[in-house]
Amino acid sequence: MGADAWYTFLMNPEALSALGNLFGERLRTTLETRICYSFDATGKKFLPDAVIYPINAEEVRQTVLLANRHRFPVVPRGAGSGFSGGSLPVHGGVVLSTERMDRIVAIDTENLYAVVEPGVVTETLKVEAKKHGLFYPPDPASLKFSTIGGNIAECSGGMSAVKYGVTRDYVLGLEAVLGTGELLRTGVATAKGVVGYDLTRMIVGSEGTLGIVTRATLRLLPHPEAAVTLLAFFSGNGDAVGAVNAVVAARVTPSAMEIMDRTAIDCVQANAPMSLPEGTGSALLLEVDGTPDFAAREADRLEEACRACGALAVRRASDAVGRDDLWKLRRSISPALRRVAPVKLNEDIVVPRSRLADMFAFLRDLSGRKNVRIVNFGHAGDGNIHVNIMISGTDADETRRADEAVEEVFRKTVEMGGTISGEHGVGISKAPFFEMEVGPLGVAVMKRLKGCFDPNGILNPGKIFLEEAAVRG
Amino acid sequence: MRAKAIVKDADLKALTGLCAKCGTCRTVCTLYPERKAEIAVARGKIALVEAAMSGEDGDAEAVQEALTDCLLCGRCERACPNQVLVEEIVMKGRADLAEEIGIPAWKRVLFGKVMTSPSATEIARKAAAAGQRLLPGKIPTASGLHYRFPDGLGGEGRTVPKLPAKGFLESLGKGEAAAGEVMLFVGCVFDHVFPQVGRAAYETVKASGKSVAVFRDAACCGLPAMVSGDRRSAAECAEANVRRLRAAEPGSIVFPCGSCLLMFRRNVFSLLPKGTPSYDDAVFVADRATDYASFLLSSGVLDRIPDPPPGEKVGEIGYHDPCHLTGTLGKGPEAREVLSRAVGPAFAEMAGADLCCGYGGTFNVRDYPTSARIGENKVSVAARGGTRVISTACSGCVLQMRDMVARTDPSLRVVHIAELVHQALFRGDGSGLRR
Repeated sequence: MGADAWYTFLMNPEALSALGNLFGERLRTTLETRICYSFDATGKKFLPDAVIYPINAEEVRQTVLLANRHRFPVVPRGAGSGFSGGSLPVHGGVVLSTERMDRIVAIDTENLYAVVEPGVVTETLKVEAKKHGLFYPPDPASLKFSTIGGNIAECSGGMSAVKYGVTRDYVLGLEAVLGTGELLRTGVATAKGVVGYDLTRMIVGSEGTLGIVTRATLRLLPHPEAAVTLLAFFSGNGDAVGAVNAVVAARVTPSAMEIMDRTAIDCVQANAPMSLPEGTGSALLLEVDGTPDFAAREADRLEEACRACGALAVRRASDAVGRDDLWKLRRSISPALRRVAPVKLNEDIVVPRSRLADMFAFLRDLSGRKNVRIVNFGHAGDGNIHVNIMISGTDADETRRADEAVEEVFRKTVEMGGTISGEHGVGISKAPFFEMEVGPLGVAVMKRLKGCFDPNGILNPGKIFLEEAAVRG
Repeated sequence: MRAKAIVKDADLKALTGLCAKCGTCRTVCTLYPERKAEIAVARGKIALVEAAMSGEDGDAEAVQEALTDCLLCGRCERACPNQVLVEEIVMKGRADLAEEIGIPAWKRVLFGKVMTSPSATEIARKAAAAGQRLLPGKIPTASGLHYRFPDGLGGEGRTVPKLPAKGFLESLGKGEAAAGEVMLFVGCVFDHVFPQVGRAAYETVKASGKSVAVFRDAACCGLPAMVSGDRRSAAECAEANVRRLRAAEPGSIVFPCGSCLLMFRRNVFSLLPKGTPSYDDAVFVADRATDYASFLLSSGVLDRIPDPPPGEKVGEIGYHDPCHLTGTLGKGPEAREVLSRAVGPAFAEMAGADLCCGYGGTFNVRDYPTSARIGENKVSVAARGGTRVISTACSGCVLQMRDMVARTDPSLRVVHIAELVHQALFRGDGSGLRR
């Protein structure tokens, strides 16, 4: 694409002027603002025609009505921290930023739920809930900046999913503007509710293609009183995976169970070295929470399981500082990767937990066969592995080999009964492999559903489905 | 004019390339809560610089505007998991754009004509002091007289300190403090606007028993020019300063202002070409440059403070972390140690100590309302936490927070830590140092 094509407006001027009447200075069409909303954490760029900052559901509704009249795409965006391109305006149109819809409307301490607007930053909700002794468990790695709306759109997971589940498990009800401009309310604000189809779950994880969430009712839990963290070192992936299975067999449910292979540990060692037992080939980070007594007892059982599986050493901490110290190894991996190679193909496959060891063996073999560096770490408790293929981005042959490796990883994952995305979503980066997992009928049914919610294809076109046609007025 | 290819610094590509656009910078940005837009935060600005480098650019003035809309507090840089050098990227981008399309006239005159020359700075202060009498409304506050800034000039509600007829350096005797093993770099603000701070710093440093010289021929440190993209004026200031400082051959150089210190410890090196005599002079200066608190701790001055130290009520005095001094240079514990020793239990950790005061140098001039909202929040968080006296160690922070307390709660006091040390060393009656 030439420089001129890059910033040419694709939307008709009439549509832009109608948006201007609606949003005033909260409509931005300068090239500078459009550039600032052209990216997310995938590193890919698509320029929108305009950016709007609505402050309530009615403005969102009016925007979608205008989009239907003038046929322009509306792409909802939270913090733009996604890894699959879910918020990228691949066909131009309007980026609808939820940054200014960021109120926590209510925290109901009797019925244990919160009502929030989509732009609330996830950690803000966690902190506010904690002030009431309550707990919002989902903890994606990006929780300090990602928003609830974005988490709902992508059904974000996190470290604690092994015990507490993912975003989906905490969304009781939603208010969303459909592609028709209608305002739909779904779900309940009670612990139970089984009336009719579960439209709430339909919208969670739909990546902004079915509706734009304008408000969410989220389940809260009592906050755990205490937590104990363990960091266990093993000589190889096999032992670590063995320990994961031993923990499960012992019927302990950790609130985190994270695995790091030797390549991942090495990445961190280059920047922030920590002392490792000799012969370390992998590490497992485990955490248990609950009452202080319960957490201590469960931690004992975890330690026992690790030692029985050949742990070289187990470090343990129950105070905040010590726990932070142990978490450092795990938390430092992702940022450290950029120093290994400039481009990372960041996949988030999930396999049945019992197949983890097979998958690690496959990845080691694949790395050798394709001659590409693969760094693996992830949420072992859920069978969710972050497979990072690290490349220079400037060597065409290496890029081809890496792309082939990605496809092989996906095929193997599906063959093992797993899924190609545990938490990043399909977006644009996994669209080519979508049918591989859900099958032709799955795709067809989903497309029919899309037609019910968004008949004119206004909402976030070009995502999930590979051949989605561009909407253009 | 398009910004295409204006931003061209070769190093920039390597610097911006490390940004993964993850969004961590959004969580700590001082400006983001005000703007609620991606263009305010580091990754947005980096995207603009990348676009300008690759030709997918915007309007040069608009890109310059976006890069200027930043306090350079450095919080994003410290939070960044990839250690992207945001300040350097923003400053280099500003410099390249300034070279091509210039900077506002008031900045050009200020940096190019006034700040580079010590005598011009003094004349400017005198003119301002005289002109100031025409301003309406004196406001008595605990920290000295303030004038109300006239409305309608973009600074509604702004108060300005009453400028003294004489600066600190001017008040020194002709031969006084002309040579010594310790050199004091007072800085423009503590010389011309708050000479009592310059005086307190001088006398407390002198109490170390070492011979102390005061750097008289100082030009501005150059930071305001540098951050505005006027690298030529900044380099001119830096060169003149390091040459004269080296010639004086001091054992150490003490900076009461964190921003001036940052200039000589770090920033000058990107202004002066490696291998030149100026660069060598800058290395000489950087090796000896120290912040006020660190000097005091190493000098033994604090051992002379009577015990128990005189002071205010328990927990009444707080310390505000200047972004450049604590954040960038990592000098935070030293000032706290000094305060604990100087005022005893009157010092307590202040609520929101590391929140930026919102001054940002020229940012305070270009967008006073935003600067003031950030600053008012800063001082009210501190006040709600029980702090009554906010101490700090940077001239910009003192200027800003004095304005903010005059706007919000004039019973709060804003002081430089040197003033508290001075008070502790030389009890109220002025009878001299306790030994």
